[in-house]
Amino acid sequence: MKILHLYYDIMNLYGDYGNVSVLERLLSQSGADCGVVKKSLGDKVDFGEYDFVFVGSGTEKNQKLVLEDLSGRAEGLKEYIEASKPALFTGNSFELLGKSITDCSGKAYDGLGLFGFTTVEQNKKRLTSDAILESDFLGKPLVGFINKCSEISGVENHAFTVRRGLGDNDGAKTEGIKYNNFIGTHLTGPVLVKNPHFAEYFAEIILGKRPDDGCLELAKKGYEVTLRELNSEN
Amino acid sequence: MKVFFTILICKLLRFVGGLVGKGSSLPGQVALKLCPDILGRVQLPEFIIAVTGSNGKTSTVEMIAHILMKNGKTVSWNREGSNQIEGVTTLVLGSSTLSGKVKSDILLIESDERFARYTFKYIKPTHYVITNLYRDQLTRNGHPEWVYDAVADSIYDGTKLILNADDPLVSRFGLGREDVIWFGADRLSSDTDTLVSAYNDGAYCPVCKAPMEYSIYHYNHIGHFKCTKCGYRRHDTEYTITSVDLDEGVMEIDGKYRITLALKSLYNIYNILAAYTVSRIVGIDGERIAEDMCDYVLKNGRVITFEIGNRRGTLLTSKHENSISYDQSLRVASAYKDGCDVLIIVDAVSRKYFTSDVSWLWDIDFDLLASPNVGEIVLAGKYVNDLGMRFSFTDIPQEKISLFEQIPEAVDHLDNGSGRYIYAITCFSDKGKFLAKVKGE
Repeated sequence: MKILHLYYDIMNLYGDYGNVSVLERLLSQSGADCGVVKKSLGDKVDFGEYDFVFVGSGTEKNQKLVLEDLSGRAEGLKEYIEASKPALFTGNSFELLGKSITDCSGKAYDGLGLFGFTTVEQNKKRLTSDAILESDFLGKPLVGFINKCSEISGVENHAFTVRRGLGDNDGAKTEGIKYNNFIGTHLTGPVLVKNPHFAEYFAEIILGKRPDDGCLELAKKGYEVTLRELNSEN
Repeated sequence: MKVFFTILICKLLRFVGGLVGKGSSLPGQVALKLCPDILGRVQLPEFIIAVTGSNGKTSTVEMIAHILMKNGKTVSWNREGSNQIEGVTTLVLGSSTLSGKVKSDILLIESDERFARYTFKYIKPTHYVITNLYRDQLTRNGHPEWVYDAVADSIYDGTKLILNADDPLVSRFGLGREDVIWFGADRLSSDTDTLVSAYNDGAYCPVCKAPMEYSIYHYNHIGHFKCTKCGYRRHDTEYTITSVDLDEGVMEIDGKYRITLALKSLYNIYNILAAYTVSRIVGIDGERIAEDMCDYVLKNGRVITFEIGNRRGTLLTSKHENSISYDQSLRVASAYKDGCDVLIIVDAVSRKYFTSDVSWLWDIDFDLLASPNVGEIVLAGKYVNDLGMRFSFTDIPQEKISLFEQIPEAVDHLDNGSGRYIYAITCFSDKGKFLAKVKGE
């Protein structure tokens, strides 16, 4: 099993690497021979070699650098996603796969065009919030934090319903995108540690069976505490 | 007349506020309502020195005030740490005559990095110290480049910048400017050739985004950097730490001024250097500054000693949501040669706002505690499970670690433990809960 942590050194703002760490452990403890491969700008990447792809959040500038790099890899990534192989893009990284990103000066960048949504950034107000997101593919809601300066519109395959926090754009009750086994969300940081059931969800897709969740005991307790805190705080 | 009344009311409110122990922003807030351009209508002193940055603002400002006052200068400064525009207005009007003349030689302003652009529109600093830009309170601040843009908007023509040359992002403020004063550290015995940090915010050039190289790292991404492409590099410094010995607790500035350190951290030496730099610019003799800084203990209560039963320890106040602040505290503990136990508490992430975000734990280099000097590690607080999970991804033997959701239970556990020294590491938001259970000194 090989996990690809793409742009590990430049899309790494909120401890996002925790996602691949915990997934690697979960797969290993479930009997798989598993390793994480780190790649970044300019490195050779053959998506077909991997069983899971992860990209984390970056600054607006770094995201544009990555956009240029990833554009040259669009075909490979598209094939990977079309083949229903699993991937998670957190924070502003999933914006890369849309039709366009317009920055705060009004300059529009072409996205990879895998999806039809568009992204518009601003530089006046940071949009941040603790979040509870619900879905029809996970038994429990996700908890976490959203930290962005952009709004997206035109998503067709919403991943989540917002119970608390920020949606795709002002007023939207939907968040993120799910297509086959690709999931993009503006949740940031170690989402799979904060939500061990989400790590198990991906592990089951990768392994084709339920993973051994013994290594997630603390994460599960932590999840319950956070969910309780978020539910009790208004 | 309007100026007179506004100042009078501000002074009265400040006086009353002082009696009832209220904060310092309200008087300024009222003053700004009465006369929105009041700051532009008062007569300011020759030196208006502002300090901003992610870490060390309050300590640096406190040191500058200490040195200047010791040397006969009168200083008005926002010691309450009320560093947004309302607080600064309270400070300025509180220090001025009713006719609107600030009475002090020096106006010293600690300024919040996000709000400086609003404050300085009305009150332009003559000198502007920027200490560092780190990952700090990202749940509010976004990320360092976002804060960079906010600080850039607060730099107006005619202000002299005083910049930390060893911070690649801060240094960028000096690009293309003539009127910059640089401070920083030469090669130090504690430097490393490779990065010691859970992440690298110096990996890419802040100007052109090409990869950067470091000849030395002082700590985290602070060091001597050079872009591999555009020529951006660490600037030579006018005011310089020339050597440091953290074991002995001594630093040397500009090759001749020796300062003994009450707090043996690299963090502290940068704050001292920034204070030294400002004091020199104001005209204080280097020898005098060194004397005033020797064994100087900060009054802001970030380092507190305590006792648990017959055990002694030090509380290292560290900022939650600020990995470099934590790393500095971890370095202090791991360097304690007589051996120590470490207590880490994460109970409320912030005292000012609610969040349950603990992603910042993954940016802290907890492997610094994988040191023979560190015995037991006790984790405590509401987010103890997240802490425990994070520690399970370090090289620290898991049998050294114990977890307690309740802080009193963690304290009781330490009471029954070895006689080793204790380093307690936590934030303002949580330290009171700990100090309530131990004997302070």
